[in-house]
Amino acid sequence: MRKKRAASGFIAAIAVIILHFILFPHPLGKELVARPAWAINLPPAESLPPGGRSADPGGEAGRFATFQLGELFGFVSPSGRLLHAERILFRVALSQRGFVNYTRIGSDWVLRDPGGERLFSFAGRGYPLASADGNRVFVVKTDLTGLQEVDGNGEVLWSRDFPSMLASVSVERDHLLAGLLDGALELVDATGAAVFQSVPAGSRIPVILAVAASPDGLHLASVSGIDRQWLIVLGKKGASYAEVSRTVLPAEFRRELRLAFSPDSRYLVLEGDGMAGLYDPASRRLSWIPLGGALAGASFLGTGRAAALLGRAGSTWRLTIAAPPSSVLCGQSFRGKAAFVGSLDGQVLLAVDGRLLRVDVEAM
Amino acid sequence: MRRAARRLVLPFAALLAFAPLPLASLEWPVAKRVVTATFGEDRADHFHNGIDIGGGEQDVHPVLPGELVFGYEENSGYTSFPRGVGSFVVLHHGDDIESVYCHLKNGTVDAGRTVYGLSDRIGIMGDTGYSEGTHLHVIVRDEESASYVNPLSLLPPLADAEAPVIRRVALAIGDRIHSLASGQLVPAGRGAVLAEIYDPRVDVKFLWPMAPYSVRLSVDGKEVSKISFDALHAVAGRTVLRGTRLAATDVYTADGLVRCGEIDLRPGTSHLLLTARDFAGNETSRELTITVRD
Repeated sequence: MRKKRAASGFIAAIAVIILHFILFPHPLGKELVARPAWAINLPPAESLPPGGRSADPGGEAGRFATFQLGELFGFVSPSGRLLHAERILFRVALSQRGFVNYTRIGSDWVLRDPGGERLFSFAGRGYPLASADGNRVFVVKTDLTGLQEVDGNGEVLWSRDFPSMLASVSVERDHLLAGLLDGALELVDATGAAVFQSVPAGSRIPVILAVAASPDGLHLASVSGIDRQWLIVLGKKGASYAEVSRTVLPAEFRRELRLAFSPDSRYLVLEGDGMAGLYDPASRRLSWIPLGGALAGASFLGTGRAAALLGRAGSTWRLTIAAPPSSVLCGQSFRGKAAFVGSLDGQVLLAVDGRLLRVDVEAM
Repeated sequence: MRRAARRLVLPFAALLAFAPLPLASLEWPVAKRVVTATFGEDRADHFHNGIDIGGGEQDVHPVLPGELVFGYEENSGYTSFPRGVGSFVVLHHGDDIESVYCHLKNGTVDAGRTVYGLSDRIGIMGDTGYSEGTHLHVIVRDEESASYVNPLSLLPPLADAEAPVIRRVALAIGDRIHSLASGQLVPAGRGAVLAEIYDPRVDVKFLWPMAPYSVRLSVDGKEVSKISFDALHAVAGRTVLRGTRLAATDVYTADGLVRCGEIDLRPGTSHLLLTARDFAGNETSRELTITVRD
């Protein structure tokens, strides 16, 4: 009798649980899925005329993304219209606003818009550097001891020399963060004045190997030192910056590393040895994502919900889509001479050899 | 020991600004030593912060045993900004001394090596970056004083029998420039003495006029100005000759003349003596007698 009552109770409990799931179904979480949106063929760089080849922007004016692949650079629209493609002379200063395609020797440079039309010219014995949005244009002295900013008429706004040679530069809105070979950081404002200086300590040999300023102006990051090598993040405190985290890095580099904040300033991507580090300033947590090669490019999608990380080992490339701080969503390996990853309309722009494609990462 | 030697050298250089430094504590980085550009030369908006050595493609060695601090390969290395120095290597030598080797030939630096002895090859002299011919640009840094030091003050001396040249002496008063010749009449006021001064070398076809080591200006037997290219450092965002406030645009005019110094021109006769000296101790002087009008 007691056994029969227990069995009935068990069956009733199971029935209640089943009824609960029927009446109050729990929705499954959405998954991020990557799928190709379009792919176009790129013209061979050597087939292009001097000054490149341009197309009518149609209704997509102002929404272009830049790409650079081997000797070729250009602008492409969200729908896959190739607005401009041009062969790189020596190097190109590429930005959303336009580009300076420059020769190895020279001192007279021209900023052109994404359609190849002249915006303004400027002079300086050094190479041009443009901010990502193209609203700020600089000339870096040939010996890397200083730089100057020019305005939209090509006039010099300011010129600044640094105590040591430049090792790394990050330009974000009104600020330029310079990392120097003597191990010092200088934050320079829009007038060319140094508004913050710091010398990260804790290494046998001081040197700056990478710098990044966050777009919101709240954080500065650097990789510094040899024996030990540190990722140091500074947070804004009043008119100055103070150290908020310091992490010893597992591998030591003796060259410049890739280091950049996401456009929404929420994450920092960092080059590691066969890995990419994703640092979250809010939690002060650094996570490593294996790439199977050196970090060759990175871009953030949308508002930082995912990062596209391009790894390279010889002619083998691997595109990894990761959800910060540490989840790998998907990855795809491919072979090629040259590859590029960027962002277009919040999605992934990928170029491999002669092909340019857009990969949309969507929640489904 | 080396730190002590360096501490002796630099103040000594400041005290004896017009004497070539006798102490040689570095080694030449190449076997064939053809100096094609000197320290402090005019580069339009900046001083040349090292020396250039030509002589064709050849192995480059460190000036002292050292450790790799930073390297960049022009065609394959990542960089956040354009680098006019091309492929280059920075070595740390302890005691706050660093040396930089620029325009190295691509693909010749051993990416795996971090420690260099004097006989180890850093790379091969090349033509990378903002360069108009195969050469090595060598920079020596004294990190303690945050200065670029004239490498010729620390390298073994080179034979050089050619004295510097002084030409086209002129006087700038306000916006006017008066070419100077002995016996010339000039207006009263304050003026700057300008001159074309360069240091020729028998084995070099010039791209740029090479700077001498020092320039002195005396008026009526009294030294009024001296410029010596010992060291450079940045003060308030400007690179200046150490111990002065003179930036490149203060020392050189737009057309490459040296501003040798400013003088007060009072009515009467004045004797000007302009002296240029190179690192081997060769000296050239130019004397002028001018008459200042009432």
